[in-house]
Amino acid sequence: MEKKKEKRPLLSDAEKNIQSLKEILSAQDILVYRFETADKKLCAAVYADGITDKELLGELAARPLAQENAPKTRLEAEKLLLFPELKEADDAETAAFEILSGNPALLIDGIAGAIILGTKKVALRAVMEPQTAITVKGPREGFIEDVKTNMSLIRRRFKTPNLQFDMLTVGKQSGTAVCVAYLKGIADESLVKKVCARIQETAIDGVPDSSYIAQFLTDRPHSVFKQAGTTEKPDILCAKMLEGRIGILVDGSPIALTLPYMLAEDFQSAQDYFVSPVRATFSRILRLLAVLVAVFLPAMYVAAQLFRLQLLPFGLLMTISGGIRGIPLSPSLEMFFLLIVLEVLIEASIRMPKYVALALSVIGALVLGDTAVKAGLVSSPAIIIIALSGISAYTVPDLTGTISVVRMAYLVAAGSVGIYGVTLLTGLFAYYLVSSDSWGTPLLAPFSPLIKHDLRDSVYKADLFSLRQRPQVFSPKNRTRLRKKSAAQKEES
Amino acid sequence: MNEKALNVRQICFLFAAILPVTRMLVYPATLSYRAKNDLVWAALISFAAEFAVIALLLLLAKKTDLTFFGLVQNTFGRVAARIACFVFSLYFFFSSLLPVLEQRGFILQVFYENVSSFLSFIPFVAVSLYASVKGLRSTGRVADLSLPIFAVCIPVLLLLALPEADFTALLPVGSTGAGNIFRSAAEGMNWFGGAAYMLFFLGNFRYEKKSAVKILSAYGIGAAIVLFFLALFYGIFSDIAILQQNALAHISKYATSFTSLGRIDLLFIFALSPVLLFALCLPLQLSTRCAAEALHVRPVFPAAAIHLLLLLFILFFNQSYLEIQTLMTQKLWYVFVVFALLLPALALVLRREKGAGAGGARLKNGRRL
Repeated sequence: MEKKKEKRPLLSDAEKNIQSLKEILSAQDILVYRFETADKKLCAAVYADGITDKELLGELAARPLAQENAPKTRLEAEKLLLFPELKEADDAETAAFEILSGNPALLIDGIAGAIILGTKKVALRAVMEPQTAITVKGPREGFIEDVKTNMSLIRRRFKTPNLQFDMLTVGKQSGTAVCVAYLKGIADESLVKKVCARIQETAIDGVPDSSYIAQFLTDRPHSVFKQAGTTEKPDILCAKMLEGRIGILVDGSPIALTLPYMLAEDFQSAQDYFVSPVRATFSRILRLLAVLVAVFLPAMYVAAQLFRLQLLPFGLLMTISGGIRGIPLSPSLEMFFLLIVLEVLIEASIRMPKYVALALSVIGALVLGDTAVKAGLVSSPAIIIIALSGISAYTVPDLTGTISVVRMAYLVAAGSVGIYGVTLLTGLFAYYLVSSDSWGTPLLAPFSPLIKHDLRDSVYKADLFSLRQRPQVFSPKNRTRLRKKSAAQKEES
Repeated sequence: MNEKALNVRQICFLFAAILPVTRMLVYPATLSYRAKNDLVWAALISFAAEFAVIALLLLLAKKTDLTFFGLVQNTFGRVAARIACFVFSLYFFFSSLLPVLEQRGFILQVFYENVSSFLSFIPFVAVSLYASVKGLRSTGRVADLSLPIFAVCIPVLLLLALPEADFTALLPVGSTGAGNIFRSAAEGMNWFGGAAYMLFFLGNFRYEKKSAVKILSAYGIGAAIVLFFLALFYGIFSDIAILQQNALAHISKYATSFTSLGRIDLLFIFALSPVLLFALCLPLQLSTRCAAEALHVRPVFPAAAIHLLLLLFILFFNQSYLEIQTLMTQKLWYVFVVFALLLPALALVLRREKGAGAGGARLKNGRRL
């Protein structure tokens, strides 16, 4: 067991305090800015170079102190400083942590402790539309890598004291800030406590992304199915929080996590809420069918060819048999080979620079596909099936990873045991999914267990006035989210 | 959320959507062997008997929240309760054997046109083992998933078959004689485990207002669909019905095989096959549950043993479906009558003080099995 280190107090001798801090922070980017007050007392700001706003430090801390006599107490000093964000640190360790976070520690000779100045300055990219959640209608803002900015994006949408941010620090080396956001009175607060406790239990060196936290928050980390929702858009996160979910923001990650998670939510798009309910329902059915096509089509094609030719209409059977004549590979091997090629192309095109990716798609789609068919290595129907399956998978971007793995599993099942293999695998997945949950919420809700009320915003999207109650699956304390105008007025009066 | 493993709606779906599928494979041909054109009446007798026993069990559920184990323990003591559970575990295991072999025929006929392999049948055991370990909660939840599949596929199959049916083949009513009708009903009891399932659902669902009406109505709907299916089946195949094993695979074939669309009915049969899978797993799940209660162990151990036995059974009797069918339906039919109807009905005489927390055996850590 690691012994808990004793904290070193910061005394009234500024020079000794600088030494204490330098002992802890020996890195070369930790700088000390020494200056004197009007009565020649030593002051020093210890800061981390690159993440501290030096201009602000000079203007709002050094200048006022240098022009006045040295303050006698911390309170006096704080009155002189013009910072809105000031904290105090009594020991070197706390001060060191703040320095590493970008907030300098101000030491004044004759005053014990340090004053922490909120002058953090980190290079940030602009708030822009995320690549993975582009919408035609609706807000276009996306989260960025800074947790504070992301919190502000949420706060801007909720002007209510009920919005709570619980701040946690995770990572022994990284000290990453993790923010648990929820709406008091709507979210289940016992769940918030459990989630915070689980995050705090995390003993890891560093947290480069929110996906690390997601793994700590799942009970089945090896599962191929997600157990925490993700979003890059503040409007989606806020909508989910209004339903009773909690959001988790991680410093350094533009992807927020949402809990509890249901599989059905990945079939919903932000745009569904900004178009007519009929159009939204149509889109959702389309997405569901596309996912079924992506998962089952290659497997069914192989099974039909291998075991059940009668399944195909005569005309189609003739076309396919013409196409597959002379193909050296068995249907399952042919499909397996093409699926691997598809996955390789996807992997390569994601990681390559944009202009190379364009060339790659030409090579992949035209050269490889066309030449392989002409050379008689693969059949045209197989190429069409794989292309259709590949495209269909991207109708639900959050599930593409899962679809790839599940599609491969179905292909193996169909190639070895035929359609019965597909049935058995479906049964196995059904038993697996019905017994999975995300923080007490069944993964397949509202379909299994069936929650009639929540079906209104599942595959079917009801109009806004039918969604007066929050989803029952989360058992929110405050169930109503929309009232008739007259009822609301009555309540106000 | 409901802390009980099942809820009333899921039991309704089980009776309305899952169990009827098991009665659409070999059962119609088996009935037509002796009851001939009166097969609907023979089935009606079985349904009526099972309906009555389920109604009695619902009466019991209204008065007590004890499980079957708890009821027997209350009346005869813990040892007797364990023995009763063990005996029912054996019953559920044996009652699953015929449907499992029946499934094999269905698979070979429907799924494989040109390949038949014993190995292809083995993965079923793995899926069933997994389902058995998952317990009753998963049973209820797959029932939720089954209803929409059943509600879409069965009407399509029935509608495709309807134009080919000649219902006059069912006339004259009663021409086979009452003896044959009753004997046929008794021989078909292997396919009627619903009351025994209900017996083990006791204490695992919260009895609410009108639960009995809901469950019995759902049972009635399921029974009506099967009866209509039987009538349709005999209307299409008439005297050669006995040869049409796996009725579900055949019933719509005349309507689709010569169309330019191909056998589109097969798509609906494929879609329905997971429901059949859930139905086949159910007796094995209950067998595991009963064995776990009897032996006071975690379900994984009896589940492994039961599925190993099942695997051996399939290995030995893979090619002997007819012999097993004859044994189960014509020689051991009374065993099924006793376990499927008589014993569940007798549960009504067990002592049923409303005991808090006495519902079922518990493991050492206090978790309910």
